[in-house]
Order: sequence, then C-alpha cells, then structure tokens
Amino acid sequence: MKTTRGLLVLLALLTLATVACAVGAPGASAFERVGDKKILVFAGRQEVPTIDPSIKYDWSIRMMQQALYDGLVKYVGNPPEIQPWLAERWEVSPDAKTWTFHLAKHARFTNGDPVTAEAVRWSFARTLKLNQGPAWMLSDFLKEDGIKVVNDHTIQFTLTQSYVPFLSFVPWWYVMNPREVLAHQVDNDLGQKWLTENAAGSGPFKIKRWQQGVLYEIEAVDNYWKGWPSKDHVGGVILKLVRESAAQRAALQRGEADIVEGLSADDYEVVGKLPGIAVPNFPGMTTFGLKMNTQKAPTSDANLRKAVAYAFDYDSLVKIYNGNAVLQTSPFPNATRGHVAVPGFPRQDLAKAKEFLAKSAYPNGGVELEYVYVQGLEEERKMGLVLIDNLGKLNIKVKMVPLTWPNMVARGSKVESSPDMLAVFATPVSTDPDAVAYQYHKNSWGKYYGSSFYTNADVWGLIERARTLTKWEERAPLYADIQKRIAADVPEVFGMLQNRRWGMRDHVKGFVFSPIRLTGEVDLYPLSISAK
Amino acid sequence: MLFGLLCLTFAISHVMPGDPARLAAGPDANQSMVDTVRARYGLDRPLTVQFARYVGGLARGDLGESLRSRNTVRDDLLRYFPNTFELVTLALLLAVALGVPLGMLSAAYRDTWVDHWTRVVSVSGVALPAFWLGLMLQLLLALHFGWLPLGGRLGLTATPPAPITHLLFVDAALRGEWRTLGDALAHAVLPVVTLCFPALASILRVNRAEMLETLGQDYIKTARAQGFSGFRVVTRYALRNAMIPTLTMIGLRYGWMLGGTILVETVFDWPGIGLYAVNAAVSSDFQPIMGVTLLIGLNVMLANLLVDLAYGWLDPRIRRPGLM
Repeated sequence: MKTTRGLLVLLALLTLATVACAVGAPGASAFERVGDKKILVFAGRQEVPTIDPSIKYDWSIRMMQQALYDGLVKYVGNPPEIQPWLAERWEVSPDAKTWTFHLAKHARFTNGDPVTAEAVRWSFARTLKLNQGPAWMLSDFLKEDGIKVVNDHTIQFTLTQSYVPFLSFVPWWYVMNPREVLAHQVDNDLGQKWLTENAAGSGPFKIKRWQQGVLYEIEAVDNYWKGWPSKDHVGGVILKLVRESAAQRAALQRGEADIVEGLSADDYEVVGKLPGIAVPNFPGMTTFGLKMNTQKAPTSDANLRKAVAYAFDYDSLVKIYNGNAVLQTSPFPNATRGHVAVPGFPRQDLAKAKEFLAKSAYPNGGVELEYVYVQGLEEERKMGLVLIDNLGKLNIKVKMVPLTWPNMVARGSKVESSPDMLAVFATPVSTDPDAVAYQYHKNSWGKYYGSSFYTNADVWGLIERARTLTKWEERAPLYADIQKRIAADVPEVFGMLQNRRWGMRDHVKGFVFSPIRLTGEVDLYPLSISAK
Repeated sequence: MLFGLLCLTFAISHVMPGDPARLAAGPDANQSMVDTVRARYGLDRPLTVQFARYVGGLARGDLGESLRSRNTVRDDLLRYFPNTFELVTLALLLAVALGVPLGMLSAAYRDTWVDHWTRVVSVSGVALPAFWLGLMLQLLLALHFGWLPLGGRLGLTATPPAPITHLLFVDAALRGEWRTLGDALAHAVLPVVTLCFPALASILRVNRAEMLETLGQDYIKTARAQGFSGFRVVTRYALRNAMIPTLTMIGLRYGWMLGGTILVETVFDWPGIGLYAVNAAVSSDFQPIMGVTLLIGLNVMLANLLVDLAYGWLDPRIRRPGLM
C-alpha cells in the first residue's frame, strides 16, 4: 500500500512537470514579426552547407546566394529572360569572343563599398582559380588573363573561342567584395573558410543568423542599391530546416511556415484544399528520363531500346504526379530556346514495340533489364512497377534496384557499371540549348546525365558547331536537327517535365516563378506579405 | 579498442561505392574540378598514406575536414554532439525515472491490473517504431492540440545563449536566460518522450524480471517476517539487489541511443550527430563518419566504465572481493 502511494506520488510529480513545460510552449503565429518587419518563413528539407559562390550550388544554396549576392545579369520570369542587374548594358563582338559589360554606377556592396569592375574581375578569377562550383560553366572558354578591367565600371571578357551561350551562364557567377573577403582570409585560402557562413555581396539581403543544421536567417537591406519592387517587401527570410514532409505540412497548416517545398504529390493535393493555403503550380524545366546504357548489352541494341520506349506507358508518369507533369516532346525541355516538338516522338504503342523487338537480337524477349532508381523516392519506385508491367508484355523482366544517389552516380560513371536503365531527373542551368545538347556529348560521359554513354559522332559535330555560331538563325536549325537525331537513337525513354510546386500561405505575394531555378529554389527578392 | 574501431571504420568507409570527390564537386562538375577536390582533400593519395595522415592528425586533435560542410569535423562535432548528448541523457534519465519504479510496481503487484498495464507499456515500447510514435505525438500534440512545438530546439526568433559548455540547457541556466530554458525544455518534450519510450520498456522489463526473482529470495521473506514495511523491503532490500542487471541494461541502452537518434532527429529536426552521420554516409564523406564513430565509441566506453563503477557502489562484494 505504502509502495503504491509513494510511487504514484512520484509519477504524479513527473506528469505535472511535463505539463508545466507544455503550458509554457509558444503558440503558433500567422507569420513571424520582428519589430515592424514581416519575416517570411521558408521550411525546406535541404541544408545550406556553404554559401560561397565559388564553391557549390544546389537549390537551397543558390536560393540564399541569389538573396545575398548579385550577378552582372539575372534570370527573371517565365519564360526566363536575362535582365540587366549589376550590368546595365553589354555588348558582344560579332565573333562572340569578346563580351563587354557596363556596370551600374550606383551599385553598392552591403558594407557600402562600390561594386567596381575590379570586384567583378576578382570574383570571376577566384571562381576559375578555385575550380569548383559554377567553374565548369565557363572554364573551357574563359581564362583569368581573359578578364580585363577597362575602367571602374566597365569589364571585358575575352574568350578563348566563340561561345554564344556565355551570357546564359553569367547569372550564376555572383560578384563578391574582394576587400571584405581578403580581410578575412586564412592561410591564403581566398576567404573560403569565412565565406562558408558569411557573405560579402551586394544583394537585397544580408545575413542575420546562421545556425548550421537548424535555420538560416537573412534580413532585408533597406537601402538596397537597386531598390525594392514593393514597399511591403519582406523584412527578412528564415530558411528553417524541416526534414520530414509530415512536419512540413504541419508547419504550413499551423502557420509556422509561409512556404514549404518538396512535399509529395499526394500532400500537395491535400494542402491545396486547405483554407489559407495556395499551391503555385508551374511547368518546369526538369526532365525525367530512363537513361539506357547504349554501350553495354542488351541495351546497346538500338531496336531493343526502341521496343522499350514504345512499350512504356507514358500516361502513367502524369498519373503518378496526379496530373502535374507534362510529357516531353523532345529531348530538350519545353522552355529551352530552340525546342521543337519532334515528329513521331515515342508514345506507348505495343504493336510498334513488338515490331522493334522482332528486329532486335532478342526477338522473343527473354532478357532481364536492371532499373536503378533513387532509394526512398516513391515516384521512381512506382515508375519501376509500371516498367515491370509494360515490359512484361514483351517477355522482358525488370529488376528494380533502389540505390542511394551517391551509389547511383558511382554506377553511372562508367560504361561497365552503368545499369541498363537509370532514373534521372536533370535540370539545365541555362536556357541556351547548348546546356541540354551537351549532355549528349561524349564529354558528358561519366556524369549522371551522361550515363547512357550516347555515341553519335554526327550529333557531337553538330553540338560543337552550334555553340560557336553567333546568329540564332544559324543555330536554331542545327538544334532542331540535334533533337531529331537524338530522339531517333533513343538513348533513353524520354519521360516528362515535372511541375514545380510549393505550398504557400495566401498572404505571400509577389512570387515570381522562373523554371530555370532549381527544384525548390525561390527568388526571395520580389516577395511580400500582405497580411497586417 | 578505439584503434580497432578506427581501422574498421576506415576500411568500411573506403570500400563503400561512391566517389566522394565527384559528389563534393557537384553533379555538373567536369573531371578537372573533380581532380581539384580530390587533390585538395588528399583523396588522390594511396589508402595507407590517407590512413597514416588521419591517425597523425588524430594525435594532434585534428579529426579532418568534411567534404560536405567544408568545416573541420571537430567543429561540426562540437556543434552537433551536445544536442544529441542532451537528448539522449534526458531521454535516458526519464526512462530510468519511470522504468525502475514501474518495474518495481509491476513486480510488487504481480498479476494485478498494475502489472498488466505496465506490461502493456513495456510491450508497446518494444513494438512501436520510434519514427511512427514521434510522428503521431507530433501530429496529435503539436498540430491537433497545439500544446507543444513541432520541432527544433528553440522557437524561430529565439537566440541560443552564448556558449559556455555548448549544452543548451546548461548554458541557458548558467546565463540566467530562463525564458530560453523554458522554450528549450518545451521543444525537448516530444523528442525526449519518443526516444525514451523504447529504453523505458527495456529497463522496465529487466527490472521487473529481476525484482520478481529477488522478491522470491529467502532473505526477503525474512525481512517481511521481521516486520519491515513493504516499501522498505522493496526499495531497500530487493531493489538494490535487482539493480545490477538493470544497470547493465541502462549502460547498453545509452550506447544504442547515442547511435540511434537519426529517426527522432529527422522527425523533430533536432540538429544532432545522427543526422550529421547519415548525411555524411550518403555523401561518402569519410572523415565525419570516422569522427562520429570514434566519438560514440568513446562515449560508450565511458558509459561502460561508469556502469562498472556503479556496480561497485551497489554491491560491496564487488568492491571488496574478500566479502564473497
């Protein structure tokens, strides 16, 4: 009896203590406020390990880089257009080798220093020297000694050869303040350690708090040199890490997050019906394809590949995304300049599939194809189930192999190990068709989007020629030809363009979609909050 | 033992498929960029040289650098380990505070409703997946009722106290930031309860079993016959003798919990080493993997040492073998 009484008292005390903590918990607010500033909360699943513009980019990193830094030009809108930013205007020589940019004279870094041509030169040279992050975009054509300061506000780039797509990559080369960076460098590291969690930019925001692994808070620069599009612009943004999609949904519903990204297709359907929540929904530029290994049997057999392409149920891709996807009509995304709808692009046609199978080295099927996809990605798993069903009609078995992304990249990096079919989402970083076409060049072998090891010397020749021509009227027909030839070779099952969606509280205004931005990336600059 | 663990972890992490240099350089990187990263982090050296350099660095307290975070592993561990330590410690303390008394109650009132309900708790703790339990608690208590925060360590606009020990609860108390401490405790309720439940179940079961055996001993009957109260018999005579195996279970659970927080950290966005280690493993980032493994190994060794010392405190026969 006494035992019971004693222990029950102990349990009661523990319960009271727990409830006391709970009572003290802060309630949910519609949006965060700091003083009279409205702070937007973005719940994302991906960390921002570094914001050094020369080192790395992915959607979360670049979202913050775009907010903290400026480029000479910027992609805006849908379709994405290159707009003047730090550069007010520019000229290009007739041979597309020399590009001259004239800077806005009133542009300032956040610490008040003027943005000069020397800062631009230094930033580009730094990225080339460190040879990481966006360096691949221009390093084949631009060397450090090709960057010249003409005067304080004029910078000139002289390329090693004609390269018309040059301008299309410039938006991703952000300008840093060399004086501030070098003041913090350690062991001649060009500021790499410091720039991991600090910024030296001229962008509309500056860092307020950087809690790695928890949240990243930036605050608006009130006297941003370019001005603000709205007087109700956000006073700051908190990118909060919320890793579980159920928690992201809950945060949106509770009003603890204003924008969430990366929900599943089913989650978007549910939250879109809730009061106070909108789901902006736009066709994207990310293609999904089943890359087939064109150099290793059995998928080295072109007729077998065609059989697979015509057996596949393309409508299922759209169904898996609840209608929020558009089938590809070309190897190029729709928003890519020069996109053409290729006549006779494969769609499900079992009779045709059997016809091609009969011409292949496996007329009765009887082979097993390995389908490798990202472990945990439910949509890709469902696509595998569709493949099993579709190819079963050709007596072709499908072995589904889920792998982590690093292991997929590792396998796809060599012909010998690259699987028969690899599920790949690919987002071009430029609207220039060269960015997509080059994925089918031999120099892309070994990269995840080159895992089909596509071989067609004629197509390579066209790609190499098209990138040097300066007139669009001359380039366009080449790209049309490239698209048709790649489609005819069927190095992959060209799937769909997944729509980009976010869950957003309806008091968020000014959202401008641009399909050139990666996955969950949002341009934070034009956002405002309309609620009081 | 730590050196053996080091060798094993190094070997396993380096035979895993994946090219860490390519992953760190980014999916669009050309070969030149991949080679730059490889050279920068010494990944182009033979494995024996890499191992020797790592061990040499360890001797200087240098745990290497993370390809993913671009920070030193030491700084990363200092950032993330205190969060896991606090989570695990609180969860274990709660598990012990509840599990031991419930085990005693269950044994003392064997085959009564008290026993049945405590056994429901113990079976649930073993059967319910921690991930599911965490999500359910979050959806019910945070989303539906709004009683508790969804996740994280502090509210969005709260700033952690300036670090002294790097333990948030301790630093908040030392700095007198009581509001921050309250906020932190509120954020800790759900993850601590989720993490404690399986440990509570194990401790309860072991303690119950040992108490049942001990309560059947002759000296217990003698104590009762001598007129000692039930409370005194159970707590003073039976519990102390039943605690040795329970203490072993507590020590084991500590090690398991340290290495098994990833699911709870993911659900509740708790910035601990579980997430750090998994992200490193997925990125083939070797040095954080080895750093985390060594740190957990060291902690488990320390926990085992404390358990061994506690044995001696509990049982004088262990302290003085002549008493046996």
